[in-house]
Amino acid sequence: MDRSSFNRSAYLYLLPALAIYGIFVLFPILQTIYYSLTDWNGLTAPTFLGLQNYLNLFQDAVFINALLNNLAFIFFYSVLAIVLGMFFAVLLTSAPLRGMTFYRAGLFFPQVMASVVIGMVWRWIYHPQYGALNQVLRAVGLGAWARPWLGDFDWALTAVGIVGTWAQYGFCMVLFLAGIQNISSALYDAARIDGAGMFQQFWYITLPGLRNQLLVALISTLIAAIRIFDLVFVTTRGGPGYATLVAGMYLYRNAFVINRVGYAAAIAVLLTILILIISYFILRLQRTQEEESFA
Amino acid sequence: MSRFVCSLLVVLLVFGMLAGCSPAATTQQPAEPAKPEQPQQVTLKVWDILVSPTEDEVAKQLIAEFEAAHPGVKVERETMTFDQMKSRAKLGLSAADGPDVAQINQGYSDMGALVAANLLVDLTPYAKKYGWDKKLSPGIVARNSFTPDGKTMGEGNLYGVPITAELVGVFYNKEYFEKAGVSVPKTFGEFEAALEKIKSAGIVPINYGSLDGFVHIHVFAEIQNLKIDRAYLDDFIYGRNNVSFNIPANVEAAAKMQEWVKKGYFTPDFAGIGYDDSVAAFRSGGGAMMITGSWISGDTIAQAPGKFGFFLMPPLQEGGKRMSTGGTSTAFAIRKGTANEELAAQYIDWMVSDRAAQLWAEKGVVPVGKVEVQNADPLFMDLLKAWAYLNENDLVGHYLDWATPTFYDTIVASFAELMALKITPEEFVQKVEADYAAYLKSRNQ
Amino acid sequence: MGFANPAVNARRILGSIPTYLILTIGLLLAVIPFLLIFITALKSPAELGNAFALPQQFHWENFQRAWTQARFGTYFKSSLIVTLSVVGISCLLSLLTGYAFGQLRFPLKNSIFLLFLIGLMVPTEAYIIPLYYSLRAVHLTDTYWALILPQIGMSVCFGSFWMRGFFSGIPRDLVDASRVDGCNDWQTFWHVMIPMVLPGLWTMAVLFFIWTWNDFLLALVMITREGLRTLPLGLAMFQGRYTTDYTLTAAGATIVALPTLLFYVLFQRQFIRGVTAGAIKG
Repeated sequence: MDRSSFNRSAYLYLLPALAIYGIFVLFPILQTIYYSLTDWNGLTAPTFLGLQNYLNLFQDAVFINALLNNLAFIFFYSVLAIVLGMFFAVLLTSAPLRGMTFYRAGLFFPQVMASVVIGMVWRWIYHPQYGALNQVLRAVGLGAWARPWLGDFDWALTAVGIVGTWAQYGFCMVLFLAGIQNISSALYDAARIDGAGMFQQFWYITLPGLRNQLLVALISTLIAAIRIFDLVFVTTRGGPGYATLVAGMYLYRNAFVINRVGYAAAIAVLLTILILIISYFILRLQRTQEEESFA
Repeated sequence: MSRFVCSLLVVLLVFGMLAGCSPAATTQQPAEPAKPEQPQQVTLKVWDILVSPTEDEVAKQLIAEFEAAHPGVKVERETMTFDQMKSRAKLGLSAADGPDVAQINQGYSDMGALVAANLLVDLTPYAKKYGWDKKLSPGIVARNSFTPDGKTMGEGNLYGVPITAELVGVFYNKEYFEKAGVSVPKTFGEFEAALEKIKSAGIVPINYGSLDGFVHIHVFAEIQNLKIDRAYLDDFIYGRNNVSFNIPANVEAAAKMQEWVKKGYFTPDFAGIGYDDSVAAFRSGGGAMMITGSWISGDTIAQAPGKFGFFLMPPLQEGGKRMSTGGTSTAFAIRKGTANEELAAQYIDWMVSDRAAQLWAEKGVVPVGKVEVQNADPLFMDLLKAWAYLNENDLVGHYLDWATPTFYDTIVASFAELMALKITPEEFVQKVEADYAAYLKSRNQ
Repeated sequence: MGFANPAVNARRILGSIPTYLILTIGLLLAVIPFLLIFITALKSPAELGNAFALPQQFHWENFQRAWTQARFGTYFKSSLIVTLSVVGISCLLSLLTGYAFGQLRFPLKNSIFLLFLIGLMVPTEAYIIPLYYSLRAVHLTDTYWALILPQIGMSVCFGSFWMRGFFSGIPRDLVDASRVDGCNDWQTFWHVMIPMVLPGLWTMAVLFFIWTWNDFLLALVMITREGLRTLPLGLAMFQGRYTTDYTLTAAGATIVALPTLLFYVLFQRQFIRGVTAGAIKG
């Protein structure tokens, strides 16, 4: 390579960003790994434990339960949100519609709201006595379905999960819309001439055409489901019992309420590894597909 | 070369702009108290949890009077809820610019941990100097005391001073009692009979809302206290003599709670209602009784004078002695290393002065110290009477969540399952005991 | 043209009615919760019984009470200081890194870029615990810096990646042409490149704004002083404090939501384009 064309001033341009990023994000990540190997209460000196925190985590029924709840949230954040997003994206593009951008903007809207506001609004909606949901159920004669949503063991996770779906599906929809608009309309015309119905067109043209968007939606929503914190903090704080306790909430309580900092750091490391693994596999999936399509 | 100089300029320019637009953030910070630029001006940083409108009003008045009596002193007060204080106190108090005075929850997880980390000032000398030891009964001094290693509660040095009394008992709606034809019960049997009678009159017997968890502890403890004595409870809370949570009295108390759930004595769908909502519902007629603490009295009297009364959970036999959960507000403590220790002690003294007691009483809040009151709201008179009775007979019990650092999380989660009838009373006590036993084991290692 | 035949036209309109119906239901579900807060914020406490009923008269004073009595004015100021600082500084730094990554050649370029990509993946949870203790040790907790600096650290990761795409898309010919015209580096950067990346810069600024404005975890951990709380933190802490005054809480929530709402309405296209393009490239 021609060394003389190297532009060493580039480092100067990178320096400020790299410094802030390094000091306030990268270095603390390394510290998290170190703390996760210690017993530390945040006040006195930490003692080195090796991998004990991790071994304890895997025997901690509360933590396992929290992880399982994260898995359950994946259904609401990823599966349901993607299905709904796909449904609305197809609906919006199935025929030339007036006001398409209007609907798109409206359906995407919850995505820009602070999760604290979202959580608070839904806590009201779910209020057993004067919440909007139970009011509507009673008004249409489904009073038997009314329940204390956020305090009900069988329903609390679903109730919070639905909020997640509600907040996420607009994002998936917008992704898919962009993807569908890139699919050549000639493909659909050809399919129609061959007598393909709506469903076949969707299955053989739309869905394969949206592979990349699907993978992206999957990564983003999976990460959101694993990281879920704000919403649980504002609605249930993990209750009733541990019914909606998630790893992020458990991490927060350990780190900042009962001061088991080392233990909390171990949770942080596990969560991060989980996220990196998921991202890695999905990105690899994307890459292999690209190679296939080039072949 | 000029290329390099040019890029250097760009970076400098960017940093210049950073410096130019950033001071907005720093100028907002008040001068640190450690740097007294004007020698006269001292800032006392106080963190308290006096957030309800009534408490806030009294605190503001007392602080105004304190500042007037101490020229050059400015009290910088920060209020937060109990939960927020629980999560912030440890961190705040270990910072060099942390609060001088903070209102700390008693028990191992809060005060104990702070003492162990050497973050609190031993208040014993100040207690003698200002006569706090005479205002507080020995039982109350004990629950604010730790050995200096923070490992044993109930003995050693005094680390906190509470300001108001707290007692958990039964608030009742007089109108509903009349409607259902029941009077204040004298035995637990009568209490249960009253529940049934109120229920059949079509009124919710116990106004309840447990989305915020802790309310279960109060109801449970009131039933538990019927059958346990002070020796057991003290041992349990202070972690002495290897007592267990798995005892018949606790199983029976848990079973009683489930029985009440099955009989429909609590507000329907209570699991989905938050505590604040449930108090508001009670004030506007949501149920005949509410088992909770005296902290709701001030606002209740202000909003609905004359409408409510209070009694302690009645004993099994008439006239029998039984403990009652409660004691005091969380305690004012001083951060070790503060430059204003003497002033902080004066502040605490101000908060427990006779003047403060008088102000609290006027607002319908029971102060720790003695106070003379006439013509107050009947609810307040009930509370004063009950507090005097408990204090004189040494029947002030404990909040169970003081027992271990994780006890609150464990017991609240287990209660949720118990009250949803998902586990048996036996399973409930086993779950809680597992937490307690693990703590004792780790402490004795 | 299908429109020539009235029968076909009518059938098409009729046929699209179910589509509109479903879309409208979806739209209502997305928007109604926010309308509920807004309506509640304008009610008197006595009118809270029916969530859907409109107030008899608008109680605008609830907003004033939330602003002063409930201190949402203070929280607003904190949010504004933090958000503007983060957006301004992050945009500047991202312009620099984007330029370096997109236009310049230098050793370790790919490794450094990969380092920034890591920042796109890791969650706040991965670094917040040590960050808290380190910042506390240097007395930076309970200052705006504790919110601004880590937020910039995260933002520049996205910004580097995002702006690189725009800078590398600038045609080489254009840059060379400006050189021929006698522009120096700085002039080329400022007069040729910046106008080309401006649309990307706008989108990025909008994303930074909304991310920072809505951030909760960082504020929850770093800030205890009431006077420094940001809006989302102030709102969360407001619960459990005066919660029985729902009109006040609702007014507070509206104050939190309104700026993002306005931003969204104004920059809706940029925002949606940014989120989709950003996600796809990621």
